[in-house]
Order: sequence, then structure tokens, then C-alpha cells
Amino acid sequence: MGVISIEHTDRLYWLGRYTERVYTTNRFFAECYDTMLDQLREAYDDFCRRLEIPNIYTSSKDFVRRYCFDSEDTNSIFSNLLRAYDNAVVLREAIGSETLSYVQLALYAMQRARLSDAPMLELQKVNDNIVAFWGMADDRILDENTRNIIKVGKRVERIDLYARLHFSGADMSREVSRLTGRLPRTQVKYDAARLAALRELVQKEQIDYPAIVQLVGAVVQL
Amino acid sequence: MEERELDLYRHTDAVNELLARYGVKFGIYKNNEFKEQLFPFGPIPRIISAQEFAVLEEGLKQRVTALNLFLKDIYGEKHILRDKVVPEEFIYAGSGYAALCEGVLPAQGVYSHISGIDLVQGKNGEWYILEDNLRVPSGASYPLIARSLCRQSSPATFRGLQIDDNRNYAELLRRTMDYVNPGGLPVILTPGRYNAAYFEHSYLAELTGAVLVSGSDLVVEGDYLYFKDYSGRKERVGVVYRRISDDYLDPMNFLPESVIGIPHIYDVYRKGNVALMNAPGNGVADDKGIYYFVPKMIQYYLNETPKLQNAPTYLPYYPEDMDFVLQNFDRLVLKDVAEAGGYGVVFADRMTREEKERFLAMLRAEPRRFIAQEVIDFQDIDIFDETGARAPRKADLRAFVLMADEPLVWHSGLTRFSRNPDSFIVNSSQGGGFKDTWVLSR
Repeated sequence: MGVISIEHTDRLYWLGRYTERVYTTNRFFAECYDTMLDQLREAYDDFCRRLEIPNIYTSSKDFVRRYCFDSEDTNSIFSNLLRAYDNAVVLREAIGSETLSYVQLALYAMQRARLSDAPMLELQKVNDNIVAFWGMADDRILDENTRNIIKVGKRVERIDLYARLHFSGADMSREVSRLTGRLPRTQVKYDAARLAALRELVQKEQIDYPAIVQLVGAVVQL
Repeated sequence: MEERELDLYRHTDAVNELLARYGVKFGIYKNNEFKEQLFPFGPIPRIISAQEFAVLEEGLKQRVTALNLFLKDIYGEKHILRDKVVPEEFIYAGSGYAALCEGVLPAQGVYSHISGIDLVQGKNGEWYILEDNLRVPSGASYPLIARSLCRQSSPATFRGLQIDDNRNYAELLRRTMDYVNPGGLPVILTPGRYNAAYFEHSYLAELTGAVLVSGSDLVVEGDYLYFKDYSGRKERVGVVYRRISDDYLDPMNFLPESVIGIPHIYDVYRKGNVALMNAPGNGVADDKGIYYFVPKMIQYYLNETPKLQNAPTYLPYYPEDMDFVLQNFDRLVLKDVAEAGGYGVVFADRMTREEKERFLAMLRAEPRRFIAQEVIDFQDIDIFDETGARAPRKADLRAFVLMADEPLVWHSGLTRFSRNPDSFIVNSSQGGGFKDTWVLSR
């Protein structure tokens, strides 16, 4: 497309962030769900603490219902998927109908999961479609800048979530390195000093996770 | 043909799944809440033979050519008023007339770049024009995407059948945009995601390669219109296919409270530095009252006999027509000229006595406000109802005529049908569905 408006830049970036948020939280929710089945019913408490979301849930059942499927709960996977969709649906001409369709399919899978007594099967399809969306974006979005803005959003979100979930130094380092390689290939403004500081933080033996969370969101300047 | 049709019907679920996948939706407001709905698709197509469409095509070209000449005349020399072919009241008292457009000649003299002409086919096989839509006609995208998806889900239906390919709509649209573009980016201006036809805006932008913009992306500087990109750079815009109405286009020239328009865009247009598709002020020609005069326009401007006829229409404005309407009230359909989208349409035989009395009082007080038409017993087209059985329903056809260096009639169209067996109202906003329209190649 060649030219991108301010609004579209913002939406592409947040499309990247929200799709990643859905994908990663869904992955970790699956682990938590499994634990809650027969090991630790209150595993959701630790889950909420690590993601720094308020534990407003009254039971593991309530957690599954609301954290996954309650569109009124701003932290729920469903809410985040709706935000991804809200950004994607206004980017049809930039990302293409084919790419957009995978976000739509993820939404349908989520709606089916909501009605199922074995929701993990459909939740897996949510992630399958998110992965397909990324693959399609990579393959079919011809404008490099458009493609890269989505990827930058995705990387920023992943670093943020990995830091909250205390991923290893190697994992953190790999993600920051990917962001570092991607940013100069977009035409969005970013803070090179903050990016350098982020790189230093993930190299340290004792990783300061809260500092990473604080820093990563401020690297990109939309 | 029958066997092949059946193959498509077997795949209806697959088509609907694909339509859902690609987000083929329209938005409606219910109880002040915005909802996106899938547009119900009927797999049984409307089929028009090559010979029949050739007649339609000529008639549509003729009609749209005359309507463009009318617009040029009304905002220019006004010969048709001086010659009393159309009474002045129907121009200046109508809500579609825009005084601001007086003396403004759009690029290449084209006013209605995209015309949506609504037709029905009577049981006698005759086609009748029901309505001309020259402002922001929508709907082409639905049969356009449906055709692609039907071909995917039921290749056997299309193998060997000779149906004109309708997937050239975006090319026709782009050709129309390029024809009037004085230089610069082509853009499609949308009021945003919460517009009923947002799917269409975004899909046509994707297919034409135009940039989809909202009002805040555009700015007027000096005598030109610019698109602002994220880094603050500005690129000149040459043509705006605007999907917002005149009123909201420019707060400095039209409704001051518009927050979705672009201040001074009309000034740039007036200077010929940007083309607006369709031209502002077109409402004067597609008013339901003016519809009555279109056959007369064809005679007047082209010196030709109309190739397509209007539904028999009466104007209570004329005393003799008022007499006729009063005498034959129960068998007529009455339309408020200021309404659209299937609203303001009443069938006299369905009114209660009180409603009739109220309506007749209104009619006598404001005869200019209404037209009356014979209820055309138009052909039903089969749909599959909720039980999966074939059932006949009322359906119309919106044909699209694009005006580039010559009038181009799209060999397809939006067939809308009523899902309610007792209703003539086919509009999507009132629960109607849509079908593809097949024009046979031979």
C-alpha cells in the first residue's frame, strides 16, 4: 500500500500486541487449567499474581469462565481477542482479507470454546488461527513496513509477558534480539537509548524483570 | 443447468462458512447498540440471459447518461426547468438540491460515477425501474465476494457454465476513479467501522488498491487535499470515493456539526483539484419525486424513447394524479420521497381505517412529499427457507452503472430478497438477504 496513516500505524502495532497477548496467555492458561484439574485448584491465584492481573475470581470454575470468556473482564483472553479483531477489521485493505480471516476464525473458535465443556480443544484452535494469521501476514502482506509494524507489536508484547512470567535470560535475550533487528526495518519512531538499556538488562545474570516490563512499552514511540 | 445448480445448493453451508470467515457483514443499530450481522446469503442465483441483459444494459446506460445530463443542467443552465419539463418545486423544495453546487462542474463532467439502479421484473417478464440511487449506492461487494466463494465451494457448478465473470468490479471502479483523477492518490473515505457498509468500504479498498481513509487522515492545505501519513508527510489526494453523505462531507460547507468530514474539501473540489465520487448535490436527481420525470429526461436530453420503464407512478402534486390516487388508494403503494432504505413505504391495503385517515390528511396537506405507485406483481425468486425447503420470495435487483469515459454496466448485480413471505421489503436493514446475479454469456 505504500502509505500508512497515523491511525493505521497505531492499529497495526496493537494488532501485533493483542494477537501475541491472546496467544501467550492462552498457552499459559492451558498449563494452569491442566494443573487445576486434579493438582491445585487454586493455581489461578499464582497465574494472576504473575501476570499482575487482579484476582477477582471466586473459584477455579469462575476463573475459567471469566478469565477466558468474559468480554466484560478487560483482562480476559476473549477481551484481548476482541481488541485484536477491532484493530484487524479496520485494516482489511492493509493486511488483506485472507490474513484478516484468521483473526475472524480465531474469534469464532473462541465463541465455540465458550459453549464447550471441554474448552481446551477450541482454545487450541484459537491459537492455531493466531499462528496462521502471523504466517499469512508474513507471506501475504507485501508492504514491508506494514508487516514489520505488526511484528514489532508482537515482539514488544512477548517481551512484556515473558518478563512478567519470569522467563529465562536466554528466552528474554532472544526476544529482545529479535525486536532489535526488527525495529530499524520499520519506519516507526523508537527510543534507541531505551532499546540499548533493554538489551543490557537481559544480558545480566540477575534479571530485573519489573525493569524490563517498565522499559519495553516505552521503546516504541507512536 | 438444474443439476449444476443442485451442486451449489449442496454446498450452501460451505459458502456460508466462507462468508463468515471473510467477515461479510453489515452493521445495524438496534436499541442504540451497534451490531454486526452476517448478510444472509441465498444460494439460488438470479439468472439473466445474455439477450435479456443486453436490453437491460442499453436501458441502464441510457438512463444514467440522461441523469448525468440532468445534473449538469440543473446545476448549470437549467434548460429543463425553463422548458417546464420538470416543475421547479421538485428541484428547489426537495432535500436533495444543494445550492452550493450551482455552477460547479465536476471533473470530466461526471456527476454520478457509480449509480445503483433498483429494478424488479414483473410477472409479464418486463423489467421496471423502482429507484435510482446516485448518492452513495452500496451493495456491489456482496455478490462480488459471493461469486468467488461459490466458485471455491462448488467448482462443479461453474465448470462449463458460461456465466459472465463479475470479479471485474474493482477494475471498473478503479477505471472510473482514474478517469476523473486530476493527479494524486485514490482514496476511499469511510465514516468508520460502525457504518452499515464498512465491510464494503474496506473490501473495495483492498481490491482497487485505493487507500482507505477516515476524515482525520485527510487535510486541506492551500488549494489541495492531502493524506497525512504516520510520519507527518503529506501526499496529494486526487480522487475521493466518499462513502459519507453530502451533509457530513465538509463542516465548513455543509453541516457544521460534522466531525467525520474534512474542512474545506468542497473548496478543493470546486477548484477542480480533487474529484469527489459521487459528486455532491446528486440527491436532486434521485429523489423519489424526480424519479417520475426520468423518462421525460431521456426524451428531453437524448431525444430517445426510454428503453426501460418506470413502475406506473402518480404524483399527487398534480391535481389529476391526486384524484386518481384518492380514487384508487387501496391498491397503491405510497412512498415518502424523503425516506430511503425501505422506510416510508406503505401499502394502502394494509392500513387500518385510522391509519388511512391520518395518511390521507398528510397526503392532502403535503402532496409534494409523496408518490404513489401501482403495486407491481413482480416475479418471486426461490430461496431456501428455515426448514430447507424451496419457497418463493420477493426480490429486486440493484444494477450498477459506472461512468468512466463511457458508461459501464457491471454484468452482475445485487439481488436482495425478503425473508418474510408476506413482505415486499427486501432491504438488509429490515432483515432481507442477498443472492448472486448471474448474467449468462450466451
